[in-house]
Amino acid sequence: MLLVKAGDVERMGLLFERHHRALFAFLFHLTQRREASEDMVQTVFYRMLKYRNSFAEGSNFSGWMYHIARNVLKDQKFGSDGKYDPISAHEERISGGALADEELEKTQSHQQLYKAMELLSSDDREILILNRMKELKYSEISMIMGITEGAARIRVFRAVEELKKIFIKKGIKSGNE
Amino acid sequence: MKCEDYKQWLPDWHMGRLGNAEKEELEQHLNSCDICREALAATALVLDNISGLPDPTPSAQMAVNFRGMLDDFKAAEKQPAATNDFWSRLKRSWASQPRFPLAYCLMILLIFDCMVYWFSRNSEQEKEVQELHAQVHELKQTMMLAMLDNPLASERLKAVNYTGEMKRVDHNVIVALLATLNNDPNDNVRLSTLEALARLANNPEVRTGLIQSITKQDSPIIQLAIADVMLKLQVKGSISAFKQLLKQKGLDENVRDKVKETITKLI
Repeated sequence: MLLVKAGDVERMGLLFERHHRALFAFLFHLTQRREASEDMVQTVFYRMLKYRNSFAEGSNFSGWMYHIARNVLKDQKFGSDGKYDPISAHEERISGGALADEELEKTQSHQQLYKAMELLSSDDREILILNRMKELKYSEISMIMGITEGAARIRVFRAVEELKKIFIKKGIKSGNE
Repeated sequence: MKCEDYKQWLPDWHMGRLGNAEKEELEQHLNSCDICREALAATALVLDNISGLPDPTPSAQMAVNFRGMLDDFKAAEKQPAATNDFWSRLKRSWASQPRFPLAYCLMILLIFDCMVYWFSRNSEQEKEVQELHAQVHELKQTMMLAMLDNPLASERLKAVNYTGEMKRVDHNVIVALLATLNNDPNDNVRLSTLEALARLANNPEVRTGLIQSITKQDSPIIQLAIADVMLKLQVKGSISAFKQLLKQKGLDENVRDKVKETITKLI
C-alpha cells in the first residue's frame, strides 16, 4: 500500500487480488446482498485510491480497508430511509443472487443464523463477522472499530453472549447439519 | 479468578486468540468447572455457526469492474498531475507566508485608523456646527436690527417677533427693542415690543428700561399693558415712575384707575 501511496497506483491491482474476496465476504455477511456488496467492494477500493494519502505508514492494510468498508456500509445502509432493510435483502436473496449460489441454497440454517444476527446491534454484528476472520488480530479489529483492544475483546464476548440468548430463544441447537 | 472472568476468554479460546499463559490457565479451569464447560459449548455453537457461514465467491464481473475503475483512475490522475505540481507549489508558497498574523495586524490597524478618523472628524464637525450657529445667530440679529428700521410697520412687527425665537439676546438687541418701545409710531409694534421685553425681564437692563419707558408712553393701551407687566413681574422700582405718570395731565381715566390699583398692589 505504501507503494500505491507513493504513486504506483498499479499496485492496487495486487491488493485487490489479495483482499477482495475477504472484503466481499465481510460485506455479504453483513448485508446478504450480493450485488450491493460487489458495488461496495468497488467503492471501498475507489476510496482507498482516492484517499491513499491518508494511509499511515506502519499501519495495517486490512485494518484500514475494513475501516473504510464500515464507513461505506454506514453511508449506504440500504435505501433512502437510512435503515438496513432485512425484507428487501431477503427478497433479493430469494429472487436473485443468493439462489444462484449453491452453497447458500443447501441449508436453511444459514438463513436462520442471518436472521438471528439481524437482531444484534450493527456494531455487534460487525465485530462478530470480523472476529470469524482468523487472519485479523485483535489489534486490527480494535482499529477497525475505533476502540481499544480490551474493549474489542469484551465486545466480542458480549456479542457472543447476546447471540447465545437469541439462539436459545429461537431454539437453534446446531447450525451446520 | 472467577468463572465470570474465565467466561470472557471463551470466545478467544475457541478462535485461538488467547496467549499461551491464558490458554493454559483457562484449560485448567475448564477441567475443574462444569458450568464453564457448558458455557464453552454454547459459545462454540455460536461461533461455529458464524464461522460455518460459507464465504460467497464474487462474480467475475467484479474484477473486471475493478480493472476498469483502476484504469479510469490512473487516466484521471495523470492529467492533472502536471498542473497539480504547479498548484501544490503555489499553495505551499502561499501557506508559508505569515498571512494570518499579517491579516489580523492589518485589520486592527484599519479599525484603529477608522476610529481615530471618525472621532477627529466628529469633534471637527461639532466645532464647525457651533461656529455656524454663532454666525446664523449674528445674521439674525443684524437682520432684525435692520428690519426694525423698516418704514413698514408689519416688517417691524416681524422683527420684534424674531426676538422671541432667539435663544440669547445681547445688549444691542435690548437697546434696539427699548428704542422701539419708546419711539415707534405704531401702537401695535410697541405693544409686541413690550411683550418681547417682558419675556426678557430677567435681564436687569430690560427692567430699568421698562421702568424708564413708563413715563414716555402716551398711548393708553401701552400704559395699561406696562402696568400689567409690572404687576406681573412685581417690579417695585416702578412705583415712583407710576406716581409721576399720575401727575401727567390729560391721562386717560381708565389708565389712571389701573395705575392707582397697580401701585396699591405693588406696595
